[in-house]
Amino acid sequence: MPLGLEVLRLDRVGKRYPMGDVIVDALVDASFTLREGEAVAILGPSGSGKSTLMHLLGFLDSPSSGEIFFENRPVSSLNESQRARVRAEKIGFVFQAFNLLPRLSVRANVALPLAYHGSPPSDAAERVSRALELVGMTNRAHHKPGELSGGQRQRVAIARALVNEPRILLADEPTGNLDSKTAATILDLFQELNRLGRTIVVVTHSPEIAANFRRQLHVRDGRVTEGGVT
Amino acid sequence: MRRLFSGVGNGFAEIWGHKLRSLLTISCVMLGVASMVLTTGFMEGFFKNWEDSLQDQGGIEKIFATAQGVKEKQEPFSAVSPGLTLADARALRALVPQAGVISPEIEAPRPRLSRKGKTFEGRRGARVLGVTNAILEINRYEIGSGRAFSDLDMRDDSEVIIIGSKIRELLFAPGDEPVGAFIDFNSRPFRVIGVLRNYERLWGTYNTLDWKNEIAFVPVTTMATKVQRSDRLSFLNIKAADVSLLRETVDAATNVLAQQHRGIIDFNVRTNEEQLASFASTKASFVIGGGAIAGVSLLVSGIGIMNLMLASINERVREIGIRKAVGATPFNIFSQFVAEAVTLSLLGGAAGVAVAVALIKVLAATLPPGSTPLLSPSAFLVGFVFSVSAGVLAGIYPAIQAAKLDPIDALRYE
Repeated sequence: MPLGLEVLRLDRVGKRYPMGDVIVDALVDASFTLREGEAVAILGPSGSGKSTLMHLLGFLDSPSSGEIFFENRPVSSLNESQRARVRAEKIGFVFQAFNLLPRLSVRANVALPLAYHGSPPSDAAERVSRALELVGMTNRAHHKPGELSGGQRQRVAIARALVNEPRILLADEPTGNLDSKTAATILDLFQELNRLGRTIVVVTHSPEIAANFRRQLHVRDGRVTEGGVT
Repeated sequence: MRRLFSGVGNGFAEIWGHKLRSLLTISCVMLGVASMVLTTGFMEGFFKNWEDSLQDQGGIEKIFATAQGVKEKQEPFSAVSPGLTLADARALRALVPQAGVISPEIEAPRPRLSRKGKTFEGRRGARVLGVTNAILEINRYEIGSGRAFSDLDMRDDSEVIIIGSKIRELLFAPGDEPVGAFIDFNSRPFRVIGVLRNYERLWGTYNTLDWKNEIAFVPVTTMATKVQRSDRLSFLNIKAADVSLLRETVDAATNVLAQQHRGIIDFNVRTNEEQLASFASTKASFVIGGGAIAGVSLLVSGIGIMNLMLASINERVREIGIRKAVGATPFNIFSQFVAEAVTLSLLGGAAGVAVAVALIKVLAATLPPGSTPLLSPSAFLVGFVFSVSAGVLAGIYPAIQAAKLDPIDALRYE
């Protein structure tokens, strides 16, 4: 499959945290490019810096050094509100803990990112229905998240991440809270979405899960290396 | 606007999610607003009453000229002054155009009104005044039945009388027609030509306007020639044609009177201004007092709302993180929380206005008239503005806290 346009590029990105008296280098000189249509696993043991990397990719955090480019624009040139807008319109997040709002219905949860669009799409209702159909949750649209199983909740979370038709889908240990059978169906869903052309980045500590993705990036002690393309 | 509505919708969902907590906060605002509206109502009722009674005394455009003792140094010459007489009224009429209405009045000392063996004895005895029709305008009397004085009555010093409703009540049986009948004034028969309207403003069971009912008028000329046998006036009241010219009118009247009295200052010219000033200053101090009460209630409701919002934010750190992760800007979060606070306070405000209205209705039915609170549109406005501002002010700080949350910390929060 030919690789498409550049979506995200990291140029010697570093992140340091002060942790008590010591300064921790969570990420050192990370440089890589994510292109449209890619399916990438970011693999590393816990504490390796992969979550930091994930937050940087979604502009939830800012690098201490280096520069991140989103669609060839340096992210540091955007203020907090502009970053939020890019997140609302072009990035989808999936979390290990699902992070659905318990008081809202499945439909309202999925519709959430659309409320933060600069100009809300006129076909918002259709988009929500399409996203729910894609993850197979149409018949649960009016349930509350508390009434769903873990796998179902994660499907809803994926629908929420897809509803704004993002350039890139970022998933942080999306199967971490699921049993292996349910995890497999979620991974199948990611594969399916990638086949449909979505750019997908999955962060995981499990080499087995990472093996499902064509490209792997290994993170160890804050350093990122290419794990090869399978 | 759309975001505001979704924020208000969210507010309702949150209120429903924490029923008891929200109920307590709403009652906080409700009590604040209710006490506000009630206080405003009482104040308005009180000042309305006071203002009315000022109006009944002739309003602010009234000027009083009365006789008074001369200063010591003028005493040896006081005999050169004719005193306050009907001639003064004519001079004012001719020389002071700013004086719109001039009412010369002669009060009979110890008047006695009787008919068929019944003698009028009011609370303070009846007052009988020799007047012109000007008094009707200046002191706001209305003829209930019959007529006012005619030019002929004045010219011929006719023995005619206009009586107050209380006098009519005491001298006549309910079925008797007083107009055309004769009553004795100081043992001289006078024909009744008119009866004044009955005036009533109750303060408890006491009618504060009874003085307007225990009065009778005869032509000032009749009083001068046939009863007092001199045209010396008891009062000379003037109504300025234009309130803005009150000062000028007073000065002009004083000059004319001084001229008439050959420089002897045996008269005094006053206005209602002092009363008006005390009315204004009392009103101002009440407004300040009411403002202080409003401020304290605002503070209490505000603290209640802020407390609720801060507690709610602590509980919803994760929600804030999620919203930020899916693209909410800090301003989105800020406005969401302000909208929730405003929703709470508006609910409280609406409940408060409703409670206050109910209380005012109940009080109006039970309290004696004259001290009842008024239900005014300004009270509603006060309630509305009060609750919205309490919501906004109390919502701002928690909303800023929420907007400032770091999304990563917020997402990690368990």
